[in-house]
Amino acid sequence: MLEARKGHTRQNRRRRERAVLLFIRLTAVLALAVMASILLYLLINGLPAINLAFLTEFPRDSMQKGGVLPAILGTVVLALGALLTAIPLGFGAAVYLAEYARPGVLVSFIRLGVSNLAGVPSVVFGLFGLSLFVTTFGFGRSILSGSLTLGLLILPTVTASAEEALRQTPQSFREAALALGASRWQAIRQVVLPAALPGMLTGSILALGRAAGETAPIMFTAAAAYTLAPPDSIFREVMALSTHIYNLATNSTHIEETRPQQFGAALVLLVLVLGLSMFAIVIRAKLRRGRKW
Amino acid sequence: MVEDSVIISARNVDFYYGDFQALKNINIDILRDEVTAMIGPSGCGKSTFLKLLNRMNDFVPGARLSGEIFIGGESIYAPEADPVVIRRRVGMVFQRPNPFAKSIYDNICYGPRLVGVKKPKELDELTEKALRAAALWEEVKDKLGKSALELSGGQQQRVCIARALALEPDILLMDEPTSALDPIATAKVEEWIKDSGLSIVIVTHNMQQAARISDKTAYFFLGELIEFGPTKELFTRPKEVKTENYITGRFG
Repeated sequence: MLEARKGHTRQNRRRRERAVLLFIRLTAVLALAVMASILLYLLINGLPAINLAFLTEFPRDSMQKGGVLPAILGTVVLALGALLTAIPLGFGAAVYLAEYARPGVLVSFIRLGVSNLAGVPSVVFGLFGLSLFVTTFGFGRSILSGSLTLGLLILPTVTASAEEALRQTPQSFREAALALGASRWQAIRQVVLPAALPGMLTGSILALGRAAGETAPIMFTAAAAYTLAPPDSIFREVMALSTHIYNLATNSTHIEETRPQQFGAALVLLVLVLGLSMFAIVIRAKLRRGRKW
Repeated sequence: MVEDSVIISARNVDFYYGDFQALKNINIDILRDEVTAMIGPSGCGKSTFLKLLNRMNDFVPGARLSGEIFIGGESIYAPEADPVVIRRRVGMVFQRPNPFAKSIYDNICYGPRLVGVKKPKELDELTEKALRAAALWEEVKDKLGKSALELSGGQQQRVCIARALALEPDILLMDEPTSALDPIATAKVEEWIKDSGLSIVIVTHNMQQAARISDKTAYFFLGELIEFGPTKELFTRPKEVKTENYITGRFG
């Protein structure tokens, strides 16, 4: 009886299948198109400003001439400082959560805290850093304050991705080490961590990209609109690409005249961040090769 | 009294996972230099019992044991017993080959290094000895620096055997060591077990395997040790009806 009905919905089914496929393709193309148009827009407007001098010189003539070298250096220093802050804390927390913590109220609270922290707007981190590091601890507006603030900002990402990488390490590695008479910490340090490290670092490098692009947190804690001093002490103020763009576009005396510099700096920042992401992808691929779990 | 030839001895062992009693009043004496097979249907407690012998169940939350287990005359659940030392004396090979993501050499040296062996020459010797004992030396002697994960499944499992043997354990526990291997690799591992001359306790779901390689067989059912005796007798003239039902394939 049912035999005759089996081909019944065929036409409809195919049409629906095609429609869904089309829709999904469209969304994928759209995502790519947004990305491409941002890049294109920046390339068209920023590329003319970029030359060797732009990358290697200090700004001159109220920022209308010269380059963005101090801002590039500042951004790199701040991002690395953030990573140095977030990695010990984040990896430590991840090892605790993934390896030691027994499921319970405390652990649920910690996880809830971590994921909530990830949702806090970055400007709030900026205010927090201002009141804690800059004022209370007396670090002033400095590389130190900015790095700590950005470090806290990326802490949830670093923690979550490190925990995920640890969880993906097969249980059998731990068992094998323990069965050979390793202590818990020996098993983690000698077997689990080496296996999980590529994944843990990938997450951290992606977070590093985020830290490099942030504006609000460092506006309060680290960024100078203009300084000639090199970043030779962690208590120095620095320029940064993101705040440099913001300042040129909103606060400077020659907003229109510095448009090329603004776009140029934006392009440099984007390339820097994309470069970091690429770097993360490359080491992940490299370290993943030859392992099968 | 514990005889000299007895290496493992369990007395009135009850074991619980939370409220679930996984083992009921287990009493067994396992002899030195013999291969002892543990058989029974899934969930009968055979693997649980095996993991009690090197205290791998310590890591299971809510696990609880009463009764005593002696290895070489020492109570391994006594308060002063150190599980880390016990695991160095009782080696274990798992169901799926689980070499570390390290070179073959570093896999084998893992145990010796844990107990403080540092001299390269000594480590080299231990590695060769362990790989020879696991019947793998000839196949891998030219690629000790390669990742153990690049080997075939059967070779990986023998790396794991060698890794356990490198610590020169008194006993080797094997938890279904061939269940993830193809027939040829299985045959190699079985052959190794038969010829090793070591004290081996092996859990297997494969009755033919138990019959082929073991001196003694223990049949577990629903957490109880139903029957334990020489393998030939147990398979040809089982004393218990439950054993007979299982080995003749009437269930399980």
